[in-house]
Amino acid sequence: MKRKSFLLFVAPSVVSMLLLIAMPLAGVVYLALHQSYVKTELVELTTEVPLFGGLKRQVTRTVPQPVLDENGRGVKVWKFVGADNIVQAAEVEGLDEILSGAREVTSLRGFISELHREITNVDFWSALEFTLLYTFGTTPFVLLIGLGLALGVDRASERLRGTMVFVSILPMIVTPVVSSLAVYWLFLDGAVIASLIEALGFGRFYFLADQLTIRTVIVAYGIWWAAPFAFIILYAGLQTVPRDPLEAAMIDGASAWQRLRYVVIPHLMPLLAVITVIHVMDAYRVFEPILVFGASVFANSVQYLTYYTLSYEDNANKAAAYAILTVIGVVILLIPVLVHTYRDQATRR
Amino acid sequence: MKFKYIVAAAALAALPSTALAECKVEGSGEVNVISNFFETLELIANTMKECERDGLVVDAKLTTEHRSETEQSFAAGSSPFDAAAVANSSITLLQARGQLRPLNDLVDKYRDTYDIEDQMLIRFGDDIMAIAFMVNAQHFYYRKDLFEEHGLAVPKTYDELLAAAKTLKAAGIEHPYGAAFGNSWELANEYVNLLLANGGQLFDPATSEPAFETPEAVEALEILGALFEYMSPNSMSLDFGGVKRQLQQGDIAMAIQWGDQAPTMDNADESTVVGKIGYAPAPATREGGPPASTFWWDGYVIPKNLDGDPDVTFQVIMHALGAETVAKNNDTTLWIRSNYQPTQYTAAITETVMGGAPPYPMNPQSSLAHSSLGENISDFITGKESAAQSLADAAKAYRAAAREQGLLAN
Repeated sequence: MKRKSFLLFVAPSVVSMLLLIAMPLAGVVYLALHQSYVKTELVELTTEVPLFGGLKRQVTRTVPQPVLDENGRGVKVWKFVGADNIVQAAEVEGLDEILSGAREVTSLRGFISELHREITNVDFWSALEFTLLYTFGTTPFVLLIGLGLALGVDRASERLRGTMVFVSILPMIVTPVVSSLAVYWLFLDGAVIASLIEALGFGRFYFLADQLTIRTVIVAYGIWWAAPFAFIILYAGLQTVPRDPLEAAMIDGASAWQRLRYVVIPHLMPLLAVITVIHVMDAYRVFEPILVFGASVFANSVQYLTYYTLSYEDNANKAAAYAILTVIGVVILLIPVLVHTYRDQATRR
Repeated sequence: MKFKYIVAAAALAALPSTALAECKVEGSGEVNVISNFFETLELIANTMKECERDGLVVDAKLTTEHRSETEQSFAAGSSPFDAAAVANSSITLLQARGQLRPLNDLVDKYRDTYDIEDQMLIRFGDDIMAIAFMVNAQHFYYRKDLFEEHGLAVPKTYDELLAAAKTLKAAGIEHPYGAAFGNSWELANEYVNLLLANGGQLFDPATSEPAFETPEAVEALEILGALFEYMSPNSMSLDFGGVKRQLQQGDIAMAIQWGDQAPTMDNADESTVVGKIGYAPAPATREGGPPASTFWWDGYVIPKNLDGDPDVTFQVIMHALGAETVAKNNDTTLWIRSNYQPTQYTAAITETVMGGAPPYPMNPQSSLAHSSLGENISDFITGKESAAQSLADAAKAYRAAAREQGLLAN
């Protein structure tokens, strides 16, 4: 193909990628490298607040007031701070304090658990801990359950398949916030699961009361939510498994397990890699169950910190820094998969 | 033609519950207003639309995304919204950025036409920045039947509340108390209530340094810790909606809850305790102290960068906030206007405020202190660290955030 026609062919996708992916990303990086606020000065002010029935109350305080320019608009400060926001967001200072702090070492185990306790007391690192737990906790099960469902549906009779496919992908159809809420409501006091356990004579059980159970529930939810995605891709993949090698294997006396292990799974390998990549990216951005369960003291995520910083600290620049940390985290996690795919491509050439 | 009926029903439902009042607005143009989405604001939006006529378009956008949309449009070169509904918390940033148009001239011009009452005016110094119309505050909810059965008096202080909780627990009510500990922001709000009532403050007004590493602050936090002993262990996941359900389902015997939720306790569709809930002012942290609560107002502001006419916009707002709206919708909320008649559901809010509950502070330092407290004090409540330690962590987080916003020098 001529160079010119090649360029013409790729131009639309290059332009849309630049517009929709590169530019927003560059925008986030730009935000994260700056700090912005409206200049304030402390002024002694009497603020009047309304009561009712004609009453009001006066409150006199030194309060920050915006510094206004000649047009009456606030004077904006916009300054370049380099990596400051990212260093602040990642709480490098807090981590450094912990690592350099003097401590008595009595046993290796005690040392490690003490270090773990201190590090996870720092917001970012505790969020990162659960984000990684969630990512690695869900991925293998999503693959396994997705494959199991795909094999099951593949063997089902023609008549049942449509219904089974529909039922299996339901969790993916429901909006994550709604399904998170549904799961959350299952575990409240007096809700279905708590009442069931009590009725079975196991006593009262509080799922949302400690770290282990709440994390287990969220990870289980994550598996339930993402498995249909693996299922639908693997089910499609199963339809393309060539019949010849399967029949050859049967003639050679291979068991069902051996056929799966040595014929079907190798055939599905590229799909499994794709699912892993996409699910890791998705899982690392876990947000809805954290928001809905509301127990960020037990389970927090990097994505939730972005949201919290933006909506409660009103700090778009630091929120952008958290977003960059999320991107960096995803890239680091994907390096092994990407390297593997690259090598694969290279050998095929 | 079922669809037609649905459309008709929807149109009927959207009609304001007031009969069409005469709109005195002079001038023409387009007025766009943005607000949160709840019953009172819907009512006001519908009342504003009564002013529509040839040459005057009134459009109200009600959205739960109001906060970010308002911030973005008020920061833009020209705002598509000519006015916005705000509360204590959301006016903070707009005021701190100098984006609000002082309303003194318009208030003077129309004071008589619309009978603007002084208590509706939110001032920063001499500048009137907002016109308030309703207030809300958290107060005490309790089960009248259970309190009577166990011979308990309505607690005036948190010591009495804890004693009542002990009695109720001994009587077999496993989790007597409920409060919104679940969402970081709401937990910090419970704490700010206690901190301010206990004589503490969020920051030193002269320097903006955090002020929550004091004995008053530790004591206030320890009250929250003591209350947690009488709450469902799942409480770290319950927001105020969750506490409302606990009350409605009869799971708990008392709670601190937002005042405007009171009528839902007697809604038989969702409540199993109709007629059994009593309302009282929030308890104090010490004998004779103010109720541990803050009060909140909702009101309208006009930005400096509006693309419409401030004069017409102001008239439309004042038409909707008129005495007639209050008279016809007395029970919708706790109106600020003097012709409002308190009901059994709002008396406790009134008493809480009259008892000396302060307004929720309206400055950027308080927002930052609130958010850093929210992220850290749960470590104490769940027993991960001491009260003093978690407050020290919060102070550290506050300092970092305040430096980034230029409120603290490095």
